[in-house]
Amino acid sequence: MIGNDIVDLYQADADSNWRRKGYLQKVFTMEEQQLIQTSSNPCQMVWLLWSMKEAVYKIHSRKKNWQAFAPGKLCCTEVKISGQCASGVVTCQRVRYFTQSSLCPDFIHTIAGESFPVEAARIRISSYDPSDLSYRNTAPATVSHHGRYLALAYL
Amino acid sequence: MDRQLLLSKLKTIVASYSHDKDALEYLNETTDFTKDLKINSANLVDVVLDVEEEFDIEIDNLSMERMLNVSAAIEIIETKLKEK
Repeated sequence: MIGNDIVDLYQADADSNWRRKGYLQKVFTMEEQQLIQTSSNPCQMVWLLWSMKEAVYKIHSRKKNWQAFAPGKLCCTEVKISGQCASGVVTCQRVRYFTQSSLCPDFIHTIAGESFPVEAARIRISSYDPSDLSYRNTAPATVSHHGRYLALAYL
Repeated sequence: MDRQLLLSKLKTIVASYSHDKDALEYLNETTDFTKDLKINSANLVDVVLDVEEEFDIEIDNLSMERMLNVSAAIEIIETKLKEK
């Protein structure tokens, strides 16, 4: 099983003020907060970690039939960034998942899977038109949309 | 606190983040924050923080996990207000 998540960085900036008092503490573990504080690009780190959690939540919630708003229970570790690529591990209720992310100036996309490297998936990122639902007929394994973008992944 | 008053305060808070004006208009105890009001998950954190500020309570992580709809939010707020 795979899960994905896209963050439109422009939309995220417009909608969310993660610098607000108490925000980071509600969402991120101490270790993740440390990563954000020491990052040369804290904004990118916030949304990278966020997209890792969201992508993994999509798998874990389906597998375990688990529904909760518990971002702090999805713990990101082993986060490695190299140029425009990032990888990491997200643990939720003792289950380990693996993530691979693309860091672009306008968006961050993460794909998560149950093994490393993440199962080979064909990823299609396009502009999102809420009135066009034709992508549903293409049977994507996982779908994410945010702001201007639609991200589909096929196995 | 009167339940109607509590509901109207909650409605004011979620109004800033809701992307579905019709669902907001007909907000009731069964309204789901993400499925009905289309609040994105990053803004769910803001709802929790706004609720903490408005009612001067602290919402622990276990309570936050369940805060996915109006009825759960009301129950959590009422419980926390009693504990004050």
